Amino acid sequence: MMHQVTLNVRNPSGLHARPAALFVRAAAAFAADIRVVNLTRAPRKAAPAKSLLALLALGVSSGDRIRVVAEGADADAAVAALRALVESGLGEAMPPSPES
Amino acid sequence: MRVLGGVSAAPGAAIGAPWIYRAPSSRGEDRLDLREATKAAEAELVALADRLRHAGRAEDAGILDAQALMAHDPELIGGARRRMRDGAAASAAILAEGEAQAAALSALDNEIVAARAVDVRDVAQRIARAIRGDVGPRLERPSVAVAADLPPSVTVELDQELLLGIALEAGSPTAHAAILARALGIPAVVGVAGLLDAASDANSLGVDGTGGAVTIDPDGAARERLEAVLAEQRERRAADAQLRATPLATRDGHRITLLANVGRPDEAVSAATAGAEGIGLFRTEFMFMGRSSAPTVAAQAEAYFAALAPFVGRPVVIRTLDVGGDKQLPYLAQEPEGNPFLGLRAIRLAEHNRELLVAQLRAILKAAARSKAETWIMAPMVADLGDVALVRALLAEAAVDRDDSARQPRVGIMVELPAAAVLADQLAGAVDFFSIGTNDLTQYLLAADRTNPSLAQRQDPMHPAVLRSVRTVVRAGRMAHIPVAVCGEMAGDPVGAVTLAGLGVDELSMDPGSFGAVKRALGAVTQVEAERIAARACDARSAADARRMVADLVLESAAGGSSHD
Repeated sequence: MMHQVTLNVRNPSGLHARPAALFVRAAAAFAADIRVVNLTRAPRKAAPAKSLLALLALGVSSGDRIRVVAEGADADAAVAALRALVESGLGEAMPPSPES
Repeated sequence: MRVLGGVSAAPGAAIGAPWIYRAPSSRGEDRLDLREATKAAEAELVALADRLRHAGRAEDAGILDAQALMAHDPELIGGARRRMRDGAAASAAILAEGEAQAAALSALDNEIVAARAVDVRDVAQRIARAIRGDVGPRLERPSVAVAADLPPSVTVELDQELLLGIALEAGSPTAHAAILARALGIPAVVGVAGLLDAASDANSLGVDGTGGAVTIDPDGAARERLEAVLAEQRERRAADAQLRATPLATRDGHRITLLANVGRPDEAVSAATAGAEGIGLFRTEFMFMGRSSAPTVAAQAEAYFAALAPFVGRPVVIRTLDVGGDKQLPYLAQEPEGNPFLGLRAIRLAEHNRELLVAQLRAILKAAARSKAETWIMAPMVADLGDVALVRALLAEAAVDRDDSARQPRVGIMVELPAAAVLADQLAGAVDFFSIGTNDLTQYLLAADRTNPSLAQRQDPMHPAVLRSVRTVVRAGRMAHIPVAVCGEMAGDPVGAVTLAGLGVDELSMDPGSFGAVKRALGAVTQVEAERIAARACDARSAADARRMVADLVLESAAGGSSHD
């Protein structure tokens, strides 16, 4: 069963440095095959979420939109976990939303 | 003996046995298989990261955490296995794949990502070492590390007690090895052509990090020169370290709080390292200059938070925007003024630019709520209680949708207008602190333009009119039990600092570069001596007379302190 979600990456470092490592570790906890696409910069490239190198190569910066696609037994749990991680800022303090 | 030139990357001098790091070659036997080797490499990196974290080196630990992830990265390992299926030996395969991944990352537009190329190459080398059963890099005796380039994980792995200096044939002053050398206080030279060849036969190497040269097998004279540089550096470091650890106080132990003046958030960190007990003046103009539109609240809050971060539990005084008609800010509603220094500037911007000031206060409150520092807000150009009421009204507007009334920042004023000095007794009851801006106070009191060099004689804050004004402000502060600081240049001038201490000022805020000189000057006199000389200076006939009498006291006391009691 395939599950997917589109997310806005809002934390200051994007998917680099420590946040990227957190993302990879979180993905590694699931059996599903998980891929990430950087919709803003590289819409044709899908990187395996369990590879730090492949993720870094996507160049996801703060403000980019990504799609996370998972396939396999625990795919829905994987997508939910990664969504929660990204939306909570991947361990970084998030700037307030533009309205404030 | 030979001298090779390079680029200076970290100052100082060292002489030691060369220790050469070379990337593992693929000659000879592989001992471990790829799987075993990656597990070993990962374990090494995890252990190293933990060690660094415990030593308080969180950033270096973070780099190694990422490398530990790379050690079992599917791209890296998968690529190596493909090469092995094509016939390559494991060590050759991992090195080649590491190189390929590094090249792919370097080719990307994104600078931050490209910097990670260094890390994947580093990890591949570590795995290759494990495959070959090579002994990990370690120093056996005090050494100068030599390499084409030192991988980050190797640099942090080396025993710092034995690492005397670093010399690289390639590398740049921004390489991780150079950054580490500066942090460790050891010399480093990079870009030394011919280094590896020359060093492989050498018995000892001299590294001149300040001049940017490496001496192969220095002879007697060269050794003496290097040793002299080294000795002088050691003495200076020891003296600086001792001074940094000494609080600002008179000879008989009367303490004055030492604060820093900073103009950008990153200066806050170095101020803390230099021994500042807080920030007495954080100038916020940097956020507003050089832009075509006003900065957002969010961007301001991030910057202010960064300045607060190094000072847990300590005061950080943030001064609200102090610009006016003399600075062309395109987004300021301004009318042309004949005399912008006496015009609608600083807090007076509320006249036509109220929202700008409210937005800044909003950002300061946001940053303060997130921070463990004590945020103090300071308004410049305040003349009277009407101005104080204006500041409080703006702050109330900024706080309107916030519910963190529990941690209200303290609100104080810069005392720089003569009116504020005259009315200090009124103002002291209405604010939480005073900070005397002696630069502008001197300018306004003596009607001497700070920017006019022919008036230099008339711009000395040691003028008795200024000293008496400070005395008045201090007295008012004492009566109202609020702290009085000085953040003008006078605080960082040894003669000025001693005078201010004698006038009863509680806190001195200055550029951190002046910390040492001020500590030495104040430490030379007793509080009673400072008070006596300050009182006499208030009755001097000129700034020059006042300055001379205080300077004489400081010099005498420094020369023969024990005779003054």
